[in-house]
Amino acid sequence: MKLAAVLLVLAVLPLLGPPAYYLYLFSTAYLFATLATAWNLLAYGGQVSFGQAAFFGLGAYGAALASLHGASPWLTITLGAALAGAGGAAVGLAAGRLNGAALALATLATAELLRGVALNWTALTGGGSGLVGIPSVPSLPAIPLELGGGRVGAYHLSLATLAAALTLSAAVLRSRAGLALAALREGETRGTLLGLRPLPWKVLAFALSGGATGLAGAVYAHTLGAVEPDVVFGRFFSIAPLVMATLGGRSLLGPAAAAVVLYLVSELVFHPLAPALHQLPYAFALIAVTLVLPAWRRTP
Amino acid sequence: MARLTVESLEAGYDGVQVLRGVALEARGGEFVAVVGPNGAGKSTLLKAVAGLLRPRAGAIRLDGERIDGRSPWEIVARGLTLIPEGRRLFGPLSVRENLELGAFVPRGGAVREETLRVVYRLFPVLDGKQRVLAQHLSGGEQQMLALARGLMTRPRLLCLDDPFLGLGRAVVDAFCDALRAVRDEGLTIVATGQHVRRLLRLATRAYLLDEGRVILSGTGAELLASEQLRRTLLP
Repeated sequence: MKLAAVLLVLAVLPLLGPPAYYLYLFSTAYLFATLATAWNLLAYGGQVSFGQAAFFGLGAYGAALASLHGASPWLTITLGAALAGAGGAAVGLAAGRLNGAALALATLATAELLRGVALNWTALTGGGSGLVGIPSVPSLPAIPLELGGGRVGAYHLSLATLAAALTLSAAVLRSRAGLALAALREGETRGTLLGLRPLPWKVLAFALSGGATGLAGAVYAHTLGAVEPDVVFGRFFSIAPLVMATLGGRSLLGPAAAAVVLYLVSELVFHPLAPALHQLPYAFALIAVTLVLPAWRRTP
Repeated sequence: MARLTVESLEAGYDGVQVLRGVALEARGGEFVAVVGPNGAGKSTLLKAVAGLLRPRAGAIRLDGERIDGRSPWEIVARGLTLIPEGRRLFGPLSVRENLELGAFVPRGGAVREETLRVVYRLFPVLDGKQRVLAQHLSGGEQQMLALARGLMTRPRLLCLDDPFLGLGRAVVDAFCDALRAVRDEGLTIVATGQHVRRLLRLATRAYLLDEGRVILSGTGAELLASEQLRRTLLP
């Protein structure tokens, strides 16, 4: 309920007529908040991913390709998210028996592998220059908010994506799956001694996290109108959600809130002061969480 | 009524053989105590039975069906649950959530509400602390929760690894009453531990384990009276 109220307030913010730059900043902040929320779906079950860009890129390329072959943007976004969800399930199946550093490396490698494929399979992906001419999303007659092109449209679309990710995360965290994931995080062996089989829950977490990340990737492709391998499969889309969500903790809203704050501090405070060092807040956040606040990170 | 048979079991860890041909049996409704000095292989035996450790040789049967080599969750699904040494609760989760996790396995889930009533009757203190985090319970309460959570899986055979470790006398008394009560309901129990006298007094059948072998078996009372037991445990 509280969450719905916050989202509603954020949805009508553009009525105040803020400068276009701020609308852009907030849209991007919501995008990262979506990614951090999706990352947390894995972390909630104790799985640390260093390769969310794999799913972001799958969503972006899936939507872009479907769109360039004539599918409507609503269908392409669904397809992009589904492709990324399937990719997530595949990674979960393949890497589900790995933990800790091995899992981190496997996910990192997956993203790099897909980046390599996108760079080299020129006939399908356009190679290094990527794909352009992806149309923006048309507004829906049933919704009074602008969703299409323009800054306001992008803002609403990005916020809607975040709302979808948070709804999914809330559903998972409050369900049987959430309990199973929490148990596996706290002790996989303990879980198995109660009859819990780890793999299906891990695959589920990967599929949902991948799907939500791919949803953001698909929306990104339609908002920007172009996808490029080094961007959508790039390391920043892997590392930023990790840092943000780690700072935010394992709660439902923590990762999203931390993402918005970190991104805005980075862009609004650090960027004007020291453009070259504007990513410092991410570094500080990571240091703070790993060294100073280990207890904070552990709160469920 | 579940029956566990262990035949010439050999098991260990990387390069170290711990169990050297252990044979034992627990018939339906029995309380079987496995005692022995530190390093005798008591925990290793229970780990192998619960599927945490793959035996090198020998067989483990639950009601005649081989369970050695199966995964822990498959073994739980067949009705054998181990409550490991040191409780191994989910600390940041609540008492209620810990119990719910025990009922994830279908055999427990089907009778979840009924089992909840049973364990709350067995341990009323847990009923009053359903929302308390497991890590905030006292040691005795944590051990009760570990047993209660194990019972939520609806085992036919319950294994307990050193269940009284670090507990005060009063708590151990309460715990023994609870174990007696669940055994009287038809549950087969296999327990190991340092509290030799306690365990042997509860036991209908008992085994003395030393250096990975069973060196003595009999009723609990027989082992209690045995000179060999005293010599093995008090060198």
